[in-house]
Amino acid sequence: MQSTPIVTIAAAEKFLKTLEEFLNHSEAFFALIIDRGGTILSQSGRPPDGTDITILAALAAGSFAATRELATRVGESEFNALYQQGSHFHILMNAVDDDTMLVTIFSTQTTVGLVRFYSARTSEQIAIQMQELRADCVDAPLVFTEADLNTASQIFRDTTDKAV
Amino acid sequence: MAIINYANKEVQFKIVFYGPALCGKTTNLAYIHSQITETNKGELVSLATAADRTLFFDFLPLNAIVIRNFKTKFQLYTVPGQVIYNATRQLVLRSVDAVVFVADSQWDKMEENIESFRNLDENLARQGLSLDTIPYVIQLNKRDMPNVAPIHYLDFILNDRAVCVPSFEASATTGQGVFDTLNTVSRMLLVKFARDAEAAAYVKSQPTPAASPMDGVAAGLRQPQAAR
Ligand SMILES: Nc1nc2c(ncn2[C@@H]2O[C@H](COP(=O)(O)OP(=O)(O)O)[C@@H](O)[C@H]2O)c(=O)[nH]1
Repeated sequence: MQSTPIVTIAAAEKFLKTLEEFLNHSEAFFALIIDRGGTILSQSGRPPDGTDITILAALAAGSFAATRELATRVGESEFNALYQQGSHFHILMNAVDDDTMLVTIFSTQTTVGLVRFYSARTSEQIAIQMQELRADCVDAPLVFTEADLNTASQIFRDTTDKAV
Repeated sequence: MAIINYANKEVQFKIVFYGPALCGKTTNLAYIHSQITETNKGELVSLATAADRTLFFDFLPLNAIVIRNFKTKFQLYTVPGQVIYNATRQLVLRSVDAVVFVADSQWDKMEENIESFRNLDENLARQGLSLDTIPYVIQLNKRDMPNVAPIHYLDFILNDRAVCVPSFEASATTGQGVFDTLNTVSRMLLVKFARDAEAAAYVKSQPTPAASPMDGVAAGLRQPQAAR
């Protein structure tokens, strides 16, 4: 099995720089790097008001995976980008590598062509950074130990359960 | 698989609620959502059809305890139980850290339970995962219904692997057993995560003859540092 991906401080800074540059060039206003399981690795810019980006990430990963299924049915291995057009906001999703994707949100202030162009380049950069990150983290470092868990309280609490 | 983020001091985990159609997976998430304090939960997103069946998945993000300054975050997913949605189940299982298998205790659901459990095993295998390594628990749901099979029978047919896992009687509509299930599987997951990390740290601490001078630099990068 693959080792635990670890976003080190250095890696986080690289991702951020890449995303910031991408937003500058493409004039999109929000970009997100997520793993295909739906977890956020990095983000930059401002999401549309009231957007819960954790949910955004989960749904983006889900819909991208669904289109991958669709792609295989028509004999493609994968669509490498997916574009959703709205009336105010548009979303572009790019495959970065087998485990990672880039989600970009933009509005009418820019064009899909521009975003598409820069997102392809950005995806390639992120793919390299992901490779470095994986090579760098051959194993999980100690975040906490089993002993820490033994002293930890209940993980989740049922608020009606006064007895706990 | 878990993702550790040193930049914002978070560890994220994914738990999938698996089981046959209508066994109560969504009801579990709805109950959890109703009981967790506002600051620790996100929205419960349900992608369901009008008939109230899970079409795609349900999703609930939760914050849990802070351990050694690291926030633990859990993302709970359900899968659609209908046989035809196997592609969806596979994509939801992607990067899963732990599983709750929800069984429907009613006698006439035994075949569906067994089929779903077998399907879980198969879908995990496709990802190179296995019930032997992934932490999981079994929830025997709908105990309040009149036509239910006895616990020992359900355990006999669903919990008969080499290692018996914890199983819980539950009634998700009232919430009975729901938090026992969630807390147990989360703790199992955290323990496994800590053990894997401790084992890796031990291996790393052993002197290797071929250690390159760059190793120290890479290790330095991995050390938790105060976030800016
Ligand atoms: N009596 C009873 N009904 C339940 C229980 N859990 C779920 N249900 C009902 O079973 C039906 C299907 O539940 P749902 O959570 O949508 O199933 P899912 O397909 O596994 O997500 C709903 O009508 C629920 O109210 C339970 O513990 N007891």
